[in-house]
Amino acid sequence: MTDEKRYRSARRSEKFYRAAVYVFFTVVTLVVLYPLVYTVSAAFTPGSSISALGLIPFGDGITLDHFRALFTDTNYVRWFRNTMIIAASTSALTVVVCTLAAYIFSRFRFVFKKSMMMALLILQIFPSFVGMIAIYVVLLRIGGLDTLWGMVLIYLAGNVPYNTWLVKSYMDTIPRSLDEAARIDGASNFRTYVQIILPQAKPMVIFQAITSFTGPWMEFIFSKLILRSNENQTLALGLYSFVTDKKNEFTMFCAGAILIAIPFMLFFVITQKMLVTSLGGAAVKE
Amino acid sequence: MERTLQRDGTARGRLLCASLLFMGLGHILYLRQYLKGVLFALVEGIVLISLPRMIGGIRNLFTLGDPHPELPVMERDHSVFMLIDGVMLLAALFLFVLLYYISVRSALGEYKRYCDTGAFSSAGLGDHAFPVLGLAPMVVLVLFFVVVPLVFSACVAFTDYSSPHHIPPNNTVNWVGLDNFVALFGGNATWAGALGRVALWTLIWAAAATLTSYAGGTIMAVLLQESRLKLTPFFRSVFLLPYAVPSVVSMLVWQNLLNGSFGTVNRTLIALGLIGKDTVIPWLSDATLAKFTCVFINLWAGFPYFMLLVTGAMTAIPPSVYEAAKMDGANRFQVFRSITLPQVLYQTTPLIIMSFTHNINNFGAIFFLTGGNPKVADSTVTSAKGTDIIITWVYNLTVNLQKYNFAAVLAVCIFVVLAPAAIFNFRRTKSFRESEF
Repeated sequence: MTDEKRYRSARRSEKFYRAAVYVFFTVVTLVVLYPLVYTVSAAFTPGSSISALGLIPFGDGITLDHFRALFTDTNYVRWFRNTMIIAASTSALTVVVCTLAAYIFSRFRFVFKKSMMMALLILQIFPSFVGMIAIYVVLLRIGGLDTLWGMVLIYLAGNVPYNTWLVKSYMDTIPRSLDEAARIDGASNFRTYVQIILPQAKPMVIFQAITSFTGPWMEFIFSKLILRSNENQTLALGLYSFVTDKKNEFTMFCAGAILIAIPFMLFFVITQKMLVTSLGGAAVKE
Repeated sequence: MERTLQRDGTARGRLLCASLLFMGLGHILYLRQYLKGVLFALVEGIVLISLPRMIGGIRNLFTLGDPHPELPVMERDHSVFMLIDGVMLLAALFLFVLLYYISVRSALGEYKRYCDTGAFSSAGLGDHAFPVLGLAPMVVLVLFFVVVPLVFSACVAFTDYSSPHHIPPNNTVNWVGLDNFVALFGGNATWAGALGRVALWTLIWAAAATLTSYAGGTIMAVLLQESRLKLTPFFRSVFLLPYAVPSVVSMLVWQNLLNGSFGTVNRTLIALGLIGKDTVIPWLSDATLAKFTCVFINLWAGFPYFMLLVTGAMTAIPPSVYEAAKMDGANRFQVFRSITLPQVLYQTTPLIIMSFTHNINNFGAIFFLTGGNPKVADSTVTSAKGTDIIITWVYNLTVNLQKYNFAAVLAVCIFVVLAPAAIFNFRRTKSFRESEF
């Protein structure tokens, strides 16, 4: 009966293992949700500062005042519109510029190719604000201060080095026989790029469009430096102004933040399969 | 103006001369590519016309202007504008030289095709221009919005651009050689001490942040993969949430929750009776504890990214390997240690190094959580606080103290440390080893 004994003990240890995993996952879930639950509850809680918040989420009553105040007392709609314009343009232009450059890096031979790839790799080390004084002056020279397109240029340029690399490594895995066949049929380089390579690189293109779209929503340093006038403020500037030292309207901040964060979260959860493929693909293909 | 062109290759010298003499001349005279030639010639024309201004600009780059205390403020020489304009000029000149080179090569290439086929290609820009035109937007953007600012930063490291005595337009900025490096690396005890402290913490922070997130992400990915609970999809979605929330938002929320006196965390602990009524755990206000807090909160925000990565990498391990291990009676831990971990490590090593370099420059994780606080002994002078890493210190020096010269020295230091890591990483990649660069 030793076999049955072993079988039983294996089942018992399996049960124990599952219970342990359940407990562990539950603990991690609580830690992960902890700040998020308080953010959501603060957005619906009357009052303004965090010291007045009760310890039990949603324990102090529920109000929509903060959301109403956002739309009536502040320029939230304007901020949203500006940020949307910046984010959408940055995303679209990043895809165009990076996929075009990546296609050329992946499929053409030319002098300085290796040095250019290396330069892009080194340049993506730095966050853009290291050169913020110079960027300010460059925008001043081309009349881009306090404009939305100036911000788009900054974000776009910041995205280009890393994203070109990412797309280039992905395109390297698309079989060359595809574009050679197209070229034999007489397609120009540009048509090959639009009709053959882009559709093949779709997962990476979508991934890139998403990440460069989400970036500008909470960028703060350059918005503060470049966008001075009232009508050009963005969400990050507006929301951050709720929690600076001068005023502490934490609940208002939370209300404004979850209006952006919730669509993002839903989106990421829905597309997680694709994220795994794109990120995993990037990892494996490096 | 028709000229015959020999097909035996003897006209190469003549063509080279014409192309070198004036940009686009070869295309117009010999190759009948008028559009291309005129465009090239136009570029050279513009450069020649603005040559006097360019020479002035380059001279300004060397002198950075002269002090004119007698003039009204707005009419004095603005050294910083001169420096940036000078660097932009050099970038423009670089583009011009590059274009010149491309034009000569294009003329010679066109001639070679003519020798081979006996016909000129189309008079327009043609398909051969595609790589140049396609790369142009990227090159121009990166040159003026990434390279010029970084070169400017590097230049500032060798000037005295700092508050209070050398801020244009009131005063000029001067080249000072290695003075700033000497001051930061030992010449000035306060600053050198602060640099040592911040540099050490930056390295510890980057290593700890990367390792904890990587380990956390791997554990979660493996457990999710092989536990096959009913609720696994639910847990997977929940664990993804920190990745989806903009990090500025989550860091600011954590900052408020962890506040010493009125933060929710401490008040909850008191209400639960875990700590005494008036005790305050200084999560963010004790220099040592705040460092642990930073690493922990970064783990909270960073593990989902690695969880996704490792999940992706695990799909590449063939299932037959696992089945074989099971047949041999390997238990879970053995399978993890001998199969999953080595495979995943092998595939994700470049990303670990990349994540390390990212964390060295992880501005948001520190700035929006602690703001660099708490203050320590030398903070009033150096503006480097207890949890500041180098990159947040660069920000403080630039925005608060206006010590642009020291900020630039720090940026140069980051570069010197990180560039070799990036290159090392690059040389390991498949695309470097296999492609025909």
